[in-house]
Amino acid sequence: MQNKINFYIVEYAINSLLRQKYKTIFISIVFSMLVFLLSSLFFITNSIKYELKQTLEALPDITVQKIKGGRHYDIDVSTIDEILDIHGVSGAVARVWGYYYFENAGVNFSLVGIDEYEEQYKKSFVDVAANLDFTKPSMIVGEGVKIVMDKNYYKDYFNFIKPDGTLKRVDIAATFKAQSELESNDVIVMSKENVREIFDISAQKATDIVVRVANFNEVATVASKIKLLYPDTRVITKDDLKISYQNIFDYKSGIFLALFSVSLFTFFIIIYDRVSGLSSEQKREIGILKAVGWRVDDVLKEKFYEGFIVSIFSYLVGITLSFAFVYIFKAPLLQNIFLGYSQLKTSFNLPFVFDMQTLALIFFLSVPIYIAAIIIPSWRSATLEADEVIR
Amino acid sequence: MNKKSIFLLNTLFFLLSLLSFEVVYLYKTKSLDGNSLAIKREFVTTLLLPDLAISTEASYIRHRSLSDFSSIYRDDASLREYFASTYVYKANDAK
Repeated sequence: MQNKINFYIVEYAINSLLRQKYKTIFISIVFSMLVFLLSSLFFITNSIKYELKQTLEALPDITVQKIKGGRHYDIDVSTIDEILDIHGVSGAVARVWGYYYFENAGVNFSLVGIDEYEEQYKKSFVDVAANLDFTKPSMIVGEGVKIVMDKNYYKDYFNFIKPDGTLKRVDIAATFKAQSELESNDVIVMSKENVREIFDISAQKATDIVVRVANFNEVATVASKIKLLYPDTRVITKDDLKISYQNIFDYKSGIFLALFSVSLFTFFIIIYDRVSGLSSEQKREIGILKAVGWRVDDVLKEKFYEGFIVSIFSYLVGITLSFAFVYIFKAPLLQNIFLGYSQLKTSFNLPFVFDMQTLALIFFLSVPIYIAAIIIPSWRSATLEADEVIR
Repeated sequence: MNKKSIFLLNTLFFLLSLLSFEVVYLYKTKSLDGNSLAIKREFVTTLLLPDLAISTEASYIRHRSLSDFSSIYRDDASLREYFASTYVYKANDAK
């Protein structure tokens, strides 16, 4: 049985590690921290990407916005009729929404108008439509909005300042479910009439128009037709949005990459230190082992066990800590990379994603490299004659 | 096997069990279940505002499809923009 694990060599490896107790402990701590940092960063991005991906398909196929003087401008609601005439379009809805900047708190609320009688909304948002009283001005707010309003003593209602300077009082009817917090944190939903009044948008105008296309293969054609019909519009397809998400993640990952390269660099310094040569004591040890009859592969096996024990121990510790840090303790400090100086902070409940690819990536970035860094210099010494090494 | 080897094997076994236990616990408690996923999808379908509110001041992160009134340089399909440098705030707003 050539491949059977030789426990005597394993024991020797353990003893060898324990002889250099402080060095082993130090390397294990650094190694665990590196795995911890790398995996935490990967876990956070994975979870956010996953969460986004889950809801991406619910996006409209095409968004049409009017551009005037290089800026976004309100679009005519009558545009819908002509868009609906295009073959392949299964539905078009005029959205009325926008940002409301609340100066006292320095935050942007997203005001979204919904219409009780609109089929599309009614079907998919039964809860909100049921809670919202369309007869008087009321709204449903995200949890972040509710907290900000509470802090500013708006417990039951909020006074919106209209463009003409007058106030519009709207009652708070309810808050969104906690499950959708990461999406709804800054959102205020109210009837379209109220949003129109707050933003001073006339009944003939809308913020933009979203279009549903029955066959997804026809999206590009429909988009180009709309663009031909209305040259003053910006037509954004779902794919454009997906690309732009990719861009923003690339930008955010740039920060990750900086951290990643720093930690990788640190790790390579440790490895370089190992590869650049064994200490004379370690060389003498290999020489003595050879002199008492160990073969080259025995020495290499022993070194492999040494490297394997340290790296697998550190890998397991790093991953375990990082799972707890990201998903149980909600990644304090690291989550600020995403939050920026946002004042409407979410509680940042990241969904747990068990991604084998990430775990394998971190494993192959760390464990084999470390083992190689142990084995290669030992192999150099082990292939020399015993007396030459000892001397 | 001597005492040290057994101790090492036990330690590795303990770590592995701890990790497995943690994964199972997180999977049971922290992963997105069908219900909350349905709520999220329903929310996005209704509002048609898909993005996560992780950075609500940065409009370009929050709602990718919205043109911002304070910037004219975002009207390209890729919507590339760098927050803080292209967004205007009064100095005393950033408390």
